[in-house]
Amino acid sequence: MTRPMVGIYFILPATLVLLALIAYPVVYTVLLSTQDAHGHFTGRNYLNVLRLPATRQAFLNLLYYVVVSIVFQLVIGTLVAILLNQKFPGRGVVRSVTLIPWVVPGIVAATTWAWMFHTDFGIINYMLVEAHIIAKPVGWLTDSRTVLPTLVAINVWKGFPFVTVMVLAGLQAIPADLYEAAKVDGASFWEEQWHITLPQVRPVLVAVTLLLLIWGINGITLIYAITRGGPANLSLITPIQIYQLAFESFQFNEAAALSVLLFIVAAIIVAIYLRVIPSSRGDAR
Amino acid sequence: MTKANDAASAPGEPTKRLSPLAATVIAIAAIVLVLVCLFPFAWMALSSIKKLAELFTVPPHWLPSDPTLANYGTVFFTSNIPRYFLNSCIIAAGATIVALALAIFAAYGFARFEFPGKPILQSFVLVGQLLPTAAIIVPLFITLRWMHLINTYWGLILVYTIITLPLSVWMLTSYMRGIPTELEEAAVIDGASRLGVLFRITLPLAVPGVVAVAVFSFVTCWNEYVFALVFAQDQTVKTLPIGLTEFSTEFNTDWGGVMAASMVMTVPVVLLFLAFQKLFVGGLTAGATKG
Repeated sequence: MTRPMVGIYFILPATLVLLALIAYPVVYTVLLSTQDAHGHFTGRNYLNVLRLPATRQAFLNLLYYVVVSIVFQLVIGTLVAILLNQKFPGRGVVRSVTLIPWVVPGIVAATTWAWMFHTDFGIINYMLVEAHIIAKPVGWLTDSRTVLPTLVAINVWKGFPFVTVMVLAGLQAIPADLYEAAKVDGASFWEEQWHITLPQVRPVLVAVTLLLLIWGINGITLIYAITRGGPANLSLITPIQIYQLAFESFQFNEAAALSVLLFIVAAIIVAIYLRVIPSSRGDAR
Repeated sequence: MTKANDAASAPGEPTKRLSPLAATVIAIAAIVLVLVCLFPFAWMALSSIKKLAELFTVPPHWLPSDPTLANYGTVFFTSNIPRYFLNSCIIAAGATIVALALAIFAAYGFARFEFPGKPILQSFVLVGQLLPTAAIIVPLFITLRWMHLINTYWGLILVYTIITLPLSVWMLTSYMRGIPTELEEAAVIDGASRLGVLFRITLPLAVPGVVAVAVFSFVTCWNEYVFALVFAQDQTVKTLPIGLTEFSTEFNTDWGGVMAASMVMTVPVVLLFLAFQKLFVGGLTAGATKG
């Protein structure tokens, strides 16, 4: 192309809009976090936020929620992708159906599962009691021991199809002769998956995990719609805490300080992830 | 980019004959999978046609003994859902169009030109995906309030552009990279302008990618909850996700109404998705499988 600068004109409008809508708010957040309500410089917001007992709990909850969700989403999503890559009648329909949990609105998933997990009238308690798996109804979303695992389960249900789509696309790109060579060597089905499939889809899994990590840290909808962080902050996660600080207590400056902290932690986690994992990305290809 | 589309003849297909045992395992796994994915929707649909008293029976009835459309009556005639449905359509369509208009140019720029700073700009676009929503919600609120855009269609459309634009640019760029450049080069030699090339040659070829991006943007905006919660507090702009929460008060939830409204909100998305599924999956996976 003769005039390289032409490209800049094409990307300029989108870049300016993103600068205005993303870069500016980020700078503004940092500024807000260092000011008191009257606009004077202070470091107090950070101290106040860090001193709240809820902050620590929300962060630990977030860590648990994100990490456990991702592990299950990756394992289940990959297994389902392997299943959907086999030949069987009705495969097309099953592939479509599998994507539906991921496409439906998060709020719909949240309310429907909340209704199914209802302590007294929920279908899940009914089925489990009838099957003698539990002796009496469990307060899934109100009991301190079950609330976070239940929310993780709902999140896994909502998120695993995304892993499946991506991994399935990766599976379909694997050359068939790799499998044929393995078959000649007498490899079993699971040996094939472990030694051929997994290394081949590893780049996809790396990219998907990164997205899941970011979406997980961002994800407010499910928990906020179902429990609002309750009971007694047991399912409170940092994004919800920020939302509540800002729009329920109207402490914008402290909310901004917590936002900056979350952003730094998220950036560190993503940076560590990018440093540790992709070293093997090249040789996986 | 069509790796996902030609599933039937994909090179990755295991080709061996299945033993009866393997076939049984696959059948059972597939049935369990379908049940797990669809059960909540079946239960939602069943609950939406039950009378209130029947929703609160112990043990729960699987099938409604006396099916009723009363919950849908409530949703359509006495709730604000119809208005919110309209709001959702306007806002999701608006944000999709704004993002597409910007993304088509940006994607063409990224896919076809080399210029200084391109890698940095490209990663900047992706950073839009990396930012925690919660981290920018406060300054956005203050800025929009200052611009008097809280509780307006334009306010939400602008905010949703933050979510849709980076993804649109990302997906469209990888789609346009997959389009051969020979035709464009010939047109340039014939004296066509760059814009002319984009609109007469590249864009028509990129229609599947554009449709995939449009569906993805629309569905994302339609489903969005947290921004709507903050930026749409008035009935004239509230969207469906917010409407869903209006069936619950602190002490009581009209579960029949919620389930009927959930159906109204879910069915369009699922239909849209099923209609464009192949394009959608192809567009989504193109970026990732090419790295």
